[in-house]
Amino acid sequence: MTRGSSLVELLVATMLGLAVLSVLTLVVGMGGRLLAACGARGEAEDTAALAVEAFTFDARRAGFDPCAASVEALADARPTRLAFLADLDASGAIDAASEETIAYVCASGQLSRVVGRQSLPLADRTTTCGFRYLDRTGAEIAVPATGLDAGGRRAVRAVAIDLGLRSGLLHAASARSIVVALRGRS
Amino acid sequence: MSRGAAVLPAALAAIAVSAALTAAVVEMTRVELVLARHRHAATDALLAADACVAELVADVAPAWDLDALLAGPDGQRGTGDDGDIAPRPGCTGRTDVPPGPAAPARVRARLTALGGRGKRTVEAIVRLSPVPGVGALVWLGRSPVDASIAGAIALDGADVADPSADAASLAGPEWPEQLDAWLAAEAGRVVMTSRTRPPLTAAAPPVIALGTRVQAAGPAGAEALVPGTPVALLTRVAGGLVVSASLHGAGLLFVDGTLDIAGALDFTGLVVVSGDLHVRPGASLSIAGALWTGAGTLVVDGGLAVRQDGAALAAADGLLPLPRTAVLLGQRDLG
Repeated sequence: MTRGSSLVELLVATMLGLAVLSVLTLVVGMGGRLLAACGARGEAEDTAALAVEAFTFDARRAGFDPCAASVEALADARPTRLAFLADLDASGAIDAASEETIAYVCASGQLSRVVGRQSLPLADRTTTCGFRYLDRTGAEIAVPATGLDAGGRRAVRAVAIDLGLRSGLLHAASARSIVVALRGRS
Repeated sequence: MSRGAAVLPAALAAIAVSAALTAAVVEMTRVELVLARHRHAATDALLAADACVAELVADVAPAWDLDALLAGPDGQRGTGDDGDIAPRPGCTGRTDVPPGPAAPARVRARLTALGGRGKRTVEAIVRLSPVPGVGALVWLGRSPVDASIAGAIALDGADVADPSADAASLAGPEWPEQLDAWLAAEAGRVVMTSRTRPPLTAAAPPVIALGTRVQAAGPAGAEALVPGTPVALLTRVAGGLVVSASLHGAGLLFVDGTLDIAGALDFTGLVVVSGDLHVRPGASLSIAGALWTGAGTLVVDGGLAVRQDGAALAAADGLLPLPRTAVLLGQRDLG
């Protein structure tokens, strides 16, 4: 029977220990990265969902006109910018500085909701951001860079937003596309 | 220090960190699932609220006002239940008159709907359609299923001035699939152009009320139908009308009784028949505008042609305001 350990035994034990620790460290590192990636993806998904919800909320009430004052639903309709109008206080007029005028703007990798003159970023790091306009047959309306004119805007029966967000650590972007019919345009 | 003493704490620490990471992933997943469930519930409720609004609007029979929405269940305005509405189960609400000018007539409806585990409230503004009638070339007061078509019916829903105003082939108090089936069965005798829209289910036209209004407006008689160029007039023929010659007319023709076409009648505007409509073999009835019938039978042994003409219908509406359907003017979510 021998006592203590030989140098070879110690070296082997150290190597084994280091190998085990390396594997554990690798596993913990992967777990950490996965957590961060899931967190970032979840945040991106939530951001996209909230942006689409806000857009839907505003699009559904576009053209709200309790006083029958001929309020138009769209004040601006471009590929990267649109503005909704709604007579929310039933005054018969649109207040451009209030929530009665809400614009959505895609610019510099960001989607913003502009309430009156106040801009609120809804989503950063966008990979896709744009708006489409559909007529009563569901066909997409070709939109010049300067936007639709008044007649073209009146022909719009539904608006669509296409939004893609980089989540950072995962390859696939969080993407949402939704078409919202404009009420009162039957 | 032994080698076991060094590795064990490290392994325990790694396991603890892994457990914490796993717990974080699980918690994150749980939160996302909760959020998704709430979004799903909110969407369900919003769909239910939209359905409430759609049914509320669709259930309003074509009329000259929106009193049906304001009168409550008893149908009488000025009573305690004014404004109470319940268009469908799980949906409650109230109506009132929105602020602003009295014309055009409008109704504001606040509806709360339960859908899934969610609840949503929406506010809708309803008005009468700017277009008279229900947007159909032929608006029947009874199902066409028992109509007798031995001749030919030609329907052209294309509006020359405004493609968005193209009309449906027919409308009547019948299920949509029955209307489709009837048109399919009569395909050889009922011919429609490509721009004619599919048939609509609609309540019967308010022919009796319309007749009362026509009579009160002091209409012309059958002499308004002439062999030459007609003048647009409000015309009422009591006791039925038999057309055995070739006549023309324009405006609004209300036949209180049976319209029996044995010759040819070419009309621009709206023809309303409270009784039977019979087009005899070799005879023809041509209408640029619309044809509305009451509860009488439809017998077409000759030719019946109706083509969309928004201007002619508008002219008839100018002679005497016509009933309209309710349409949604706008809507917003309240929460």
